[in-house]
Amino acid sequence: MDEKKFYLTKQKLAELEKEHKKMLAFEKNKATGEEAPKIFESEDINPEFISFQEDMIFLRSRIKELENILANYELIKNPTKENKNIVNLGAKVLLEIDGQKDQFIITGTLEANPSLGKISNESPVGKALMGHKIGDEVVVSSPIKTTYKIKNIKYEIS
Amino acid sequence: MKDLVNFFHQVGKLKDMPRRGWVINDIKNPESIAEHIFRASLMVWILGSKKKLNIERVLKMALIHDLCEIYAGDTTPYDSILPKNHKKRKEFMKTWPRFSDKEKKRLSEKKHKKEKIALEKLLKNLPRELSSEIKHLWYDYEKGLTKEGRFFKQTDRLENFLQAMEYWKKYKKPPQGPWWEWAREFFDDPVSLEFVEEMAKKFHHKIKPRA
Repeated sequence: MDEKKFYLTKQKLAELEKEHKKMLAFEKNKATGEEAPKIFESEDINPEFISFQEDMIFLRSRIKELENILANYELIKNPTKENKNIVNLGAKVLLEIDGQKDQFIITGTLEANPSLGKISNESPVGKALMGHKIGDEVVVSSPIKTTYKIKNIKYEIS
Repeated sequence: MKDLVNFFHQVGKLKDMPRRGWVINDIKNPESIAEHIFRASLMVWILGSKKKLNIERVLKMALIHDLCEIYAGDTTPYDSILPKNHKKRKEFMKTWPRFSDKEKKRLSEKKHKKEKIALEKLLKNLPRELSSEIKHLWYDYEKGLTKEGRFFKQTDRLENFLQAMEYWKKYKKPPQGPWWEWAREFFDDPVSLEFVEEMAKKFHHKIKPRA
């Protein structure tokens, strides 16, 4: 397993820990031949699909994946008062992008989902926005220029 | 065997289904969904070997990831806002569509639900073990549950991006601005980013940045 660091919100960490615990219990039950409990209730794992009656390979690879994440994570924390107006992990950034408005949350790679507005801190735009403050204009121009004007920054980390 | 024959017969329809993103851009003889799957599979195998991936799993994922489109059809981010008027449509394609948080969530859930129903319809007569495996692989791709799922999601879009560049070079469409805008927000895997950088050199070496 690679030892990449995973930046997680507290909420995501709790979800993954819960899932890991349930998966281990399920694997144990499966090994002893007991009936499978209804284990997957989180929003990320759909109970209708993941019955795991047949797919032990998937179960094991997911357990392995969760163990790697739980061994290599770092929690995304609220910034200090003086850093609240600077883009960092967990920031909700209101932007004007070449005249259009959009809002991104800067996440780690694991929680990134651009179609839901969650932009990875390792993507070129995520990387370029980090460290900037309200009013800054960030230009990403490889190879076509786009200007990201930062209109607001909020942190809503629980 | 009868159910397998029916299944493969349905899958064959992907060879005649053009990718919607190219249809709305008026691309002549656009690639089919099956053609996209072919190159995406090849790409994930070869690019995935640069990472410690389970290649068998990721290849199977590539092969099944768009099966749901047999019944659900192909979708693009422009679908919910695309004007019927041809001239206006062309104008729309010059900008990457931006949505509110609420709309992003609604569109994403709608697409997922539609595709899930379509996949279940396609798989319903297959042996339970096979049907279950395909569902798990698709779910992994959709949600990025394993590193294979996350990397294939990137490779799937990388293939799409490469095709967009190739059409642009040949037909001067689709417009490149929105594609680059999207790509720099989407790709975050080091292998994907290196690939994108090379694509920029190959396709844009003579292009000056937009004023």
